[in-house]
Amino acid sequence: MIAAVVPAAGRSQRMGRPKMLLPMGGQTLIGRVVTALREGGAEPVVVVAPPEDSDEGHAVAAAASIAGALIVIPRIRPKEMRHSIEIGIETLAGPTPPLHVLLAPGDAAGITRTVVIRLVEESARHPAAIIVPRRGPSRGHPVMLPWAIAAGVSSLPTGQGVNALLAGGTAPVIEVPVADSGIAEDIDTPEDYRRWQEQEPENVASTDRLEPGRAASFKPENRVQVPVMFFALARDRAGCTAIDLELAGGSRVRDLRAELARRLPGLAPLMQNVMIAVNEEYAGDEAYIMPGSRVAVIPPVSGGAGGRSPARWVELRTGGSDSP
Amino acid sequence: MIEITSSPIDHASVTERLRANHAGAVCTFLGTVRDLTGDRKTLALRYEAYPEMALKKLAELETEARKRWPIIELALVHRIGDLGPGEVSVVVAVSTPHRHEAFDACRWLIDTLKDVVPIWKRETWDDGKEEWVHPGLGDRRGGQTE
Repeated sequence: MIAAVVPAAGRSQRMGRPKMLLPMGGQTLIGRVVTALREGGAEPVVVVAPPEDSDEGHAVAAAASIAGALIVIPRIRPKEMRHSIEIGIETLAGPTPPLHVLLAPGDAAGITRTVVIRLVEESARHPAAIIVPRRGPSRGHPVMLPWAIAAGVSSLPTGQGVNALLAGGTAPVIEVPVADSGIAEDIDTPEDYRRWQEQEPENVASTDRLEPGRAASFKPENRVQVPVMFFALARDRAGCTAIDLELAGGSRVRDLRAELARRLPGLAPLMQNVMIAVNEEYAGDEAYIMPGSRVAVIPPVSGGAGGRSPARWVELRTGGSDSP
Repeated sequence: MIEITSSPIDHASVTERLRANHAGAVCTFLGTVRDLTGDRKTLALRYEAYPEMALKKLAELETEARKRWPIIELALVHRIGDLGPGEVSVVVAVSTPHRHEAFDACRWLIDTLKDVVPIWKRETWDDGKEEWVHPGLGDRRGGQTE
């Protein structure tokens, strides 16, 4: 079993906005990295998201979750990437840890399924080695660590990053040459992002096309379209079972409520009394609507005599005061 | 076992399946269709689910209940479709080592199920009117539809 750990808790200071949420090929950047890892054979993919009280934490967690990642939300924002990695590795520890762990920063747009598959193949041949892609003149992401070495990251001397392992003192390091697109594989600045969009549009449009040429046109998504399902009274009032709703990029559940009330006046009087589910989970008004989100309008359910609500249930699940 | 079904529920065999050597108690709750609400008479109830989410929520209920009580076996089965008076709409059953745990778990499961699992019911009254049952939506806003 090969797992992956994706640190994605950083502040995006040089980008100036949450870079994990940048649109990339019909996904978010974090979603794209998770997808490439999973399609390449990593399972589970653990994403260490920003803390709950950060502005972007919920949206990053939702985007990674949609792509199939396991989400870890630290209580406070890790100071360095190494700490995020340690948190991710810790969640993989247990009676049956993975054989290998891939480390992949959440902004490493250059990670593709093909690269991951190459590393997985190489790790089967050299199970005790650290395996790293070579992309033209430099080493790239992700880095494959045998479990014993991954588990030792927390014992590295203070101040050392995970890169210290790549010096070769701990285990042999094997490089796997991969296609080099010639542009930075991490996206740190608006300039990096612009270059991904403009110089190599096909990189942005597809996870797997590294060779330049066939230009797939890419436009940043400033609109998202999501399917919205209606149930029970909401369906009667909407007059249909589902619609496709177009929203501005970055819209939240409360924007979706307003847009539904505008589009379907029959539904408007109900809107303040229904719950909204996103991807089969009750979602608060601040939750983001992402490309690929499945939305449902949930009128109060049939029991309800106890006077409790799904919001109450959220409390129960997150360790509220209600004990048996 | 977790299930949403449009067929009648064989609650006896669900209960039977929960018996186990380590269990000192099996508690089964049946929700059944009542024919009178105040002085209004129900001819039929139609249950509708958002199946993907309902199954997910039922699975979460199981996980949460197993954290709280030493549950050996558990069954959450909900029927959907058209039901007549007296028919079984939902079965909640647990087996545990001791009876008080079985009662507590069973009660918590049915109460929480009715609050959070997206399954709705639509009444057909004997005066021909039909309406969704949506607690918390006053008559002005919700309720009666036809």
